[in-house]
Amino acid sequence: MIALIGVLVLALLPLVLSSTFVLVMFLSFVWLVLTANYDVLDGFLGQINLGQGAFFGLGAYVVTILLNVGTVQTLGRFAVVLATLVALAVTALFAAVMAFPLFRLRGFYFAIGTLILIFLLQVFALNLTALTGGAYGAYVPPAFFMNALVGYYLALGLAVLSLALNYYLARSTLGLAFRCIKGDEDAARSLGLDPMKYKITALVIASVPSAAAGVLFALNSGFIDPGIALGVERSLLPSLMALLGGTGVVLGPVFGTAIVRIIETVVFHYLRLPVPSMLFFGITLLVVALFIPEGLLKSPRITRVKLFGKLASY
Amino acid sequence: MTRALELVVSGVSLGGIYALLAFAFSLTISTTRILNVAHGVLFVWGGAVFVIFSQKLGLHPVLSIVLLSVVFFLFAVAFERGIVRPLLGRSAHRLLVGSIMATFGLGLSMESTLGYAWVTYVDPYPVFSSSLAMFPVTLGTVALSGSRLVILGFVLVTVTAFHLFLQKTFLGKAARAMAQSFDGFLVIGLNPYRLSLILFTLAIIATAISGAFYVLAVPLNPYDGLPLTLKAFTVVVLAGVGNLPATLVAGAVLGIAEVSTSQFLGTIWAPAVSLTVLFLVLVVKPTGLFGKGLQ
Repeated sequence: MIALIGVLVLALLPLVLSSTFVLVMFLSFVWLVLTANYDVLDGFLGQINLGQGAFFGLGAYVVTILLNVGTVQTLGRFAVVLATLVALAVTALFAAVMAFPLFRLRGFYFAIGTLILIFLLQVFALNLTALTGGAYGAYVPPAFFMNALVGYYLALGLAVLSLALNYYLARSTLGLAFRCIKGDEDAARSLGLDPMKYKITALVIASVPSAAAGVLFALNSGFIDPGIALGVERSLLPSLMALLGGTGVVLGPVFGTAIVRIIETVVFHYLRLPVPSMLFFGITLLVVALFIPEGLLKSPRITRVKLFGKLASY
Repeated sequence: MTRALELVVSGVSLGGIYALLAFAFSLTISTTRILNVAHGVLFVWGGAVFVIFSQKLGLHPVLSIVLLSVVFFLFAVAFERGIVRPLLGRSAHRLLVGSIMATFGLGLSMESTLGYAWVTYVDPYPVFSSSLAMFPVTLGTVALSGSRLVILGFVLVTVTAFHLFLQKTFLGKAARAMAQSFDGFLVIGLNPYRLSLILFTLAIIATAISGAFYVLAVPLNPYDGLPLTLKAFTVVVLAGVGNLPATLVAGAVLGIAEVSTSQFLGTIWAPAVSLTVLFLVLVVKPTGLFGKGLQ
């Protein structure tokens, strides 16, 4: 019920918002998708994926590159659909292939392995200039630009879909298997669960919505470069927001994303403080990791309040 | 032949620095189970502070190194008290998440502070290198860069010191015991907090000084920190945690591979080498090429 009202309010918001705020909300939804996807691995499987941004960047780059190909452009409106589908398929395939080397690692070796993934993609995006435009970035042809309102609703839909996926994981046997592996991998194996199979599944389902978010971002902004699409903050912020909101709780990513985005908007857009944004996010992450390691929606102090307790139980 | 020898010397001196970086990194991972993602950032900060002391303030290089050690000693104590100690008592998964996230946050904020402050207050061109004069040394027909030889000497001295520390001193033995079994370490009545303070202090000071030596030969950029952490990690995975001789070999291999890549494919591809090497090792032999691997 609460969720339904929330979505309804968000769906009606563009009627009263200025175009700047439609964009701010659009970007927040994109971040929410990444955060919710990040939580699939962290909250349910106990794996820290610092390369969530890689899927975002891959989706953005594949769609931009394809829309710049002459034969694809002749397809007209259908070109966007085709390019999007290819981008999602490429990302899913990438996630499935990368899962094999990555999940041979456990614990922090996995986290560093995924961080390497995003740096490696960055190097390729910077150096394969013929394909990606290198450091100068790549443009989406203006004919394929997305209307801001269409982008808003698609991003909202994608965010709801990502949360629905986490809701499903919180209740299904698939999610139960994930949690079992998170709890004790060897015990899970002794129950006949194949951890590798579930980990690959998790990485693939966590990659596709992120890639779709990348596609929406590229079509909405019309321009991407290695820093925007594959920068470290694409990976840092999802983990920060998920950790802040509470991992493994369906509405945790919503809380984390909302708080970080509100503070970010106030500090950098209204107050215009002369602080590098990464300094701010870095310190926030440090403080959250040290002082509220369980996240807001799992902290007993917060959930004692009836409303938050109810939200945390979703 | 001359060219090959030059490549090997610059590769080995670069690799020696990587090995040192990796060794300080694996010393703290294997004992405290805390992964310090900010490790490479501290290295870059070491280089930056050295350049400020020795060039911008015009101090003698040796005095700069001493002051640098004092600065990073204070930092290391704050780091251990503020970040490591609160994490040490947590359960395995919490420790893992907490250490990665906290040090990732610390690293990024330090990195952006350095980048911002350097451009604003020191130099609009955000690359720092030391301009100390180092003359080329000629051995027969081969001309070798003097600064690279200094680095090589520094690496050899430090590695020997680390080796003697681990093998001969009581604290070194305690560190090895802690790496073997944390519970066993507690059972025999040793104090893990004291040891973690000493190890982090040693590792951080060694890393910062390595950064100072590194800028003698190779310029650094404020945002090189995280990639350097990844390089250190690559060497650790190649060599296995705490395996000192293998760490040296793995560092040298990585250094030579990078130098040859810059030479033959162009410098833009050099950053991809360690990443690709790491990926290949993970695919082929995830426990590392040498040694037993981690856990």
